Amino acid sequence: MAVLKNKISLKNVSKTYYLKDRTVEVLKDITLDVKENEFLVLLGPGQCGKTVLLNIIADLEKATSGEIIFADGRPKMGDLGMVFQKYALFPWKTVMGNVEMNQKLKGVDKATRQAKAQEYINLVGLQGFEKAIPKQLSGGMKQRVGIARAYASESDIMLMDEPFGALDAQTRYSMEDEIIKIWEKNKRTIVFVTNNVEEALYLGDRIMLLASRPSYVKKEYIVDLPRPRSYTDKAFLEMRNEIVANTDLDI
Amino acid sequence: MNSSEVKKWYYILPVLSIGMFFAAWIFLSQGADTMIPTPYATLQRFLDICVNPISEATLIVHIWASLKRVLIAFFFAIVLGVFLGVGLGWSKAFDSFLGPVFEILRPIPPIAWIPLVILWCGIGELPKVVIVFIGSFVPIVLNTCSGIKEIDPLLINAGLVLGANRRQLLFEITLPATVPAILAGIRTALSSGWMCVVAAEMIVAKQGVGFLIVRGQESGDTALILACMLVIGVVNLLLSTILVKLEGVLCPWQFSKTK
Repeated sequence: MAVLKNKISLKNVSKTYYLKDRTVEVLKDITLDVKENEFLVLLGPGQCGKTVLLNIIADLEKATSGEIIFADGRPKMGDLGMVFQKYALFPWKTVMGNVEMNQKLKGVDKATRQAKAQEYINLVGLQGFEKAIPKQLSGGMKQRVGIARAYASESDIMLMDEPFGALDAQTRYSMEDEIIKIWEKNKRTIVFVTNNVEEALYLGDRIMLLASRPSYVKKEYIVDLPRPRSYTDKAFLEMRNEIVANTDLDI
Repeated sequence: MNSSEVKKWYYILPVLSIGMFFAAWIFLSQGADTMIPTPYATLQRFLDICVNPISEATLIVHIWASLKRVLIAFFFAIVLGVFLGVGLGWSKAFDSFLGPVFEILRPIPPIAWIPLVILWCGIGELPKVVIVFIGSFVPIVLNTCSGIKEIDPLLINAGLVLGANRRQLLFEITLPATVPAILAGIRTALSSGWMCVVAAEMIVAKQGVGFLIVRGQESGDTALILACMLVIGVVNLLLSTILVKLEGVLCPWQFSKTK
């Protein structure tokens, strides 16, 4: 693998919540690099603080200690794409309205931003649904809107917080194929959070296995399997078993 | 019983209960010295006041007199209520400054204001409008405020990530997300406002449905009272039906059943 530039570097990032009667240590000394245009998967059991870590990278929460270095400087709010597990679409906005939101907030004029939004709507295969509202869409389609909306921020960094966690198994498989297709067409640096080992192996260039509560990087796996990958491939299964054996039980 | 037989009963039961209601009404209204008019007498009185004026106004004029008071008060209640509700829900400083005063005044039933408002504003149109305003303002403030406070934090996060500044967060994300809560407040407020106008008119008025009821009481005209009570109920029902329809139009994402 060619040597890639580090896009984001996390150094000893820790997060502790101080509650009334106790303190909860969620993240402990997380150190990792995200390389440019790679598909990095953060894999960990449920409730292990993956979302918190992603929120810290997105600047929605502050780390208790440690630092995050962006190679090109910390992006301003609005210059970083994020896809949420529960879609977080604006229910009163159409598909177009959701996808153009970032540019609208930045004050881009209507014709320009809608042309841009249209490109991303086409990219995720939702042409013809521009005027639909989220309520009229299936779960898979909703998340396509979420992906298009994040892409439309034109950020070269995309954070994805268990984006397929709320989908049924069949839709999940097809969305996994879809996200790889989208990413190969339009390369960005992706940090993808999941608790699903197969999903991590199917998607990631690299997997960071996180431990549970407090969360730290337990092991790094480089997935050197050609795409498109197969769930039943021998190498795939061997790696899967290895990761599963090393994963903390989600209690 | 198979399911179609069960279904049949769901049609029969309401007819049965309404039939029993009228049977009881007719039974109780028998006898010469009863204070309960028969359904037939009530209907006749209703048709009579539709054509023959009481206090120089037919029924529809009285209804309009009441409605007008409600609508004027309602306009101000919505404007000021939404404004105050947004302020209380959005700004901690605003909430800690005005919140306590609002909390002190809030539990006072609007009707308790009537004597004071009459002393302050006299017996013209103004006191009725003020009473209705008090009655409809509070639910609008409360619903708007809690709607803003209970917005899905995920939507706020999405807005922040997409680059919304604080003003955009309020106008582009929080307010649109709160529209259903505001509309629910408006629906409660309309019921409450309609109740208040009747109460205010019962105390002092020359026109309006509340006035008609009191006129019925003064002249021992029980048929008039009953007819007006039914009219008041029907008007309230119509108003809330219109609002429910309006909600479907304004927020199809929330209320409309079409998929």
